[in-house]
Amino acid sequence: MIGDPGLSDFSVEANGLTKYFGDYKAVDHVSLKVPTGSIYGVLGPNGAGKTTSLRMTLGIIDPDEGVSRLLGGHRPQSVRNRIGYLPEERGLYPGMKAREAIAFMGALRGLDWSEGRRRAAGFMTELGLERVIDEKIRKMSKGMAQMIQLIGSIVHAPDLIVLDEPFSGLDPVNQERLEMLVRRERDRGATILFSTHVMAHAERLCDRIAIIARSARRFEGTVDEARALLPMQVRYTPRTAGDPAAIAANLPAGAELRGDAWHFAIQDGDVEPLLARITASGHGVTGLSISRPALHDAFVHIVRQVDAGFDADATGDAVEEASA
Amino acid sequence: MTPFIRSMFVVARRDFLAIVATPTFLLFLLAPLFMVGMGLAGGMGASQLADSARGAGRIVVVADAADVEALRSADTRLRAAMSREPAMLDIRVASPAAADPVKIAHEKGSDTYAVMIGPLAAPYIVERETDSSSGRYLALLASDVQRARAAGPLAPTTPRFESLSNGGTSIAVQQSIGFGAVFVIFLLTLLLAGQTVSSLAEEKGNKVIEILAAAVPLESVFLGKLLGMLGVAMLFIAFWVIIAMGGGLVAATQVDPAALAAAGKPAATLAAMPATGWPFFLGIGFAYFILSFLLLGAAFLGVGAQAASVREIQMLSLPITIFQVGMFSLSAGAASAPGSSLARFAEIFPFSSPLAMAARAATDEARAVHLLALGWQAIWVALVIWVSVRLFRSGVLSSGSGWKFWRRGAAAAAMATAATADRH
Repeated sequence: MIGDPGLSDFSVEANGLTKYFGDYKAVDHVSLKVPTGSIYGVLGPNGAGKTTSLRMTLGIIDPDEGVSRLLGGHRPQSVRNRIGYLPEERGLYPGMKAREAIAFMGALRGLDWSEGRRRAAGFMTELGLERVIDEKIRKMSKGMAQMIQLIGSIVHAPDLIVLDEPFSGLDPVNQERLEMLVRRERDRGATILFSTHVMAHAERLCDRIAIIARSARRFEGTVDEARALLPMQVRYTPRTAGDPAAIAANLPAGAELRGDAWHFAIQDGDVEPLLARITASGHGVTGLSISRPALHDAFVHIVRQVDAGFDADATGDAVEEASA
Repeated sequence: MTPFIRSMFVVARRDFLAIVATPTFLLFLLAPLFMVGMGLAGGMGASQLADSARGAGRIVVVADAADVEALRSADTRLRAAMSREPAMLDIRVASPAAADPVKIAHEKGSDTYAVMIGPLAAPYIVERETDSSSGRYLALLASDVQRARAAGPLAPTTPRFESLSNGGTSIAVQQSIGFGAVFVIFLLTLLLAGQTVSSLAEEKGNKVIEILAAAVPLESVFLGKLLGMLGVAMLFIAFWVIIAMGGGLVAATQVDPAALAAAGKPAATLAAMPATGWPFFLGIGFAYFILSFLLLGAAFLGVGAQAASVREIQMLSLPITIFQVGMFSLSAGAASAPGSSLARFAEIFPFSSPLAMAARAATDEARAVHLLALGWQAIWVALVIWVSVRLFRSGVLSSGSGWKFWRRGAAAAAMATAATADRH
């Protein structure tokens, strides 16, 4: 959807963001470039450093190293009113009415109170929350309050919307509503940057993603590019139940028979030769599916690789210490 | 309006409404009634105790029957001239048997402060405490009777009194006005500024702080919170001023003017004038209240912002209250000794400055110095806010540099040391 953007087309340009909490390096030289008008996902396991990266990107906390520029090279503090932000830790004043809470968040970003109230009512009606427009936050369910806060973060029609784990705590219906809202905001012209560890949302929504694991960025690209990191998966069911060894001889090494189907991975260029070998073998074809792995698999693969690297380093350090 | 000011007002508006639009605010508004009620109850109790003690106390004279009338007359005359009335005088006629003053002093049913027996020319006085005022009074009584007898009949003195009410207010009264200003500002600040200590607890508790920190400068959040509380304070003061004015109007229509004129002394007190005049004094007193509120409120807000829990906030309240009382004592000292070094210190020390300068406005007619003081205090408000925000950013949001310079410096030094060691 988004082509190769020019340098000036980035709504977020964060370079080398690093943050220490005590001696712990929570974020290690993370860089993010979010093309204007795109939906960009920051993925990572729990504790990877996603939230801290987003907070530094928005200037809520100062990085120990690195810089963040938003919406055309501006310091985050200077373009606050053009940004919408939903923090990971949801927070609303329990005694406030929903409409007032939304208007308050809009007013913080420069929106007129009365206009904020008007837009709040519109958004809430659209999202099926019209019956709680004048209800106090403390009387709402957690999911409802979360939707209120989400509306509050976009009520002032920001150019950049940053959502930290926006789907957590929402039921499937509200998750779908949120996806719809995100797409609509993108269509309006806003750039959306969100973090999640639920791959399905990222796969459906994101134009580009970054994967953060163990405090550092480990991947950046499109969802398809992430999926392409792993070989394609093949499920092959022969027509004749012949000698398994003879069938396996025509398949790549590591092919595994489960039930009556063979499972194995192949590289992109090996598809045609494989088809030729299967056809020539005479075992026939009852079923054949060749598919890319899901983003979930690519994510798990990347994270496990990083973990394995860390474990190996830790083992190496332990050996060095023991030998010393 | 700049974005900074606008966001400050947004935060202030939210806080103001969140406090005022609750039923508990009514309790807060009526808090002075409880204080006054408690004070009245305590005062009445103390007064009753004092009355009963005074009623139970006495001084005793055992005299010849011929002296009794003269003693009673002298007691009436002298008692009227005493600023502090002596204990009730019990005059007994001496019996042929010699009276035992110690026995009389130990009689049950009342406290006897002193007993005088013997001839008036050389009386014998037994007193409960050495050199007590009661003993001296009895001696004076005897002396007065003796002197009156020696002088013989005299024409009564007919003095003519003239009030000095038009001759300007005395320094003592002006100091009292100054002390009153210190007390009122202290009381209001104690009631209202202390509230700011828990002001950020709500945001930290319900996680709204991240929304605020992302949307507006933290300085405007802090100032907005102070402004919101100041609004609450203004409402509080306005409420009680209206009540007081209403009460005054009702009293003015109900009280008999003749009775008011007869009171005399209170009316004269009301006519007392601070050195700078009432309009200026009241105006500058109000300005100093605002600055006192902002200064102490900003300090408490900054301290409270560091607290991680309600328990910590409660723990912080005690030293904060002690600090406020300390500022009050300092300023009260300044009010009672205008122009002294203590007064100068209290006027310059930022947290006592508003109180001490309000007291100065009562005794010193110079006005320009107050502009200087207001500016000085405003600078400190800004400074306290700035420091509070820095502390908040580094402590609560784990942001900003601060100590990390030290860590980096230490790391750089360690690396340099290691490099030097390698070279050798």
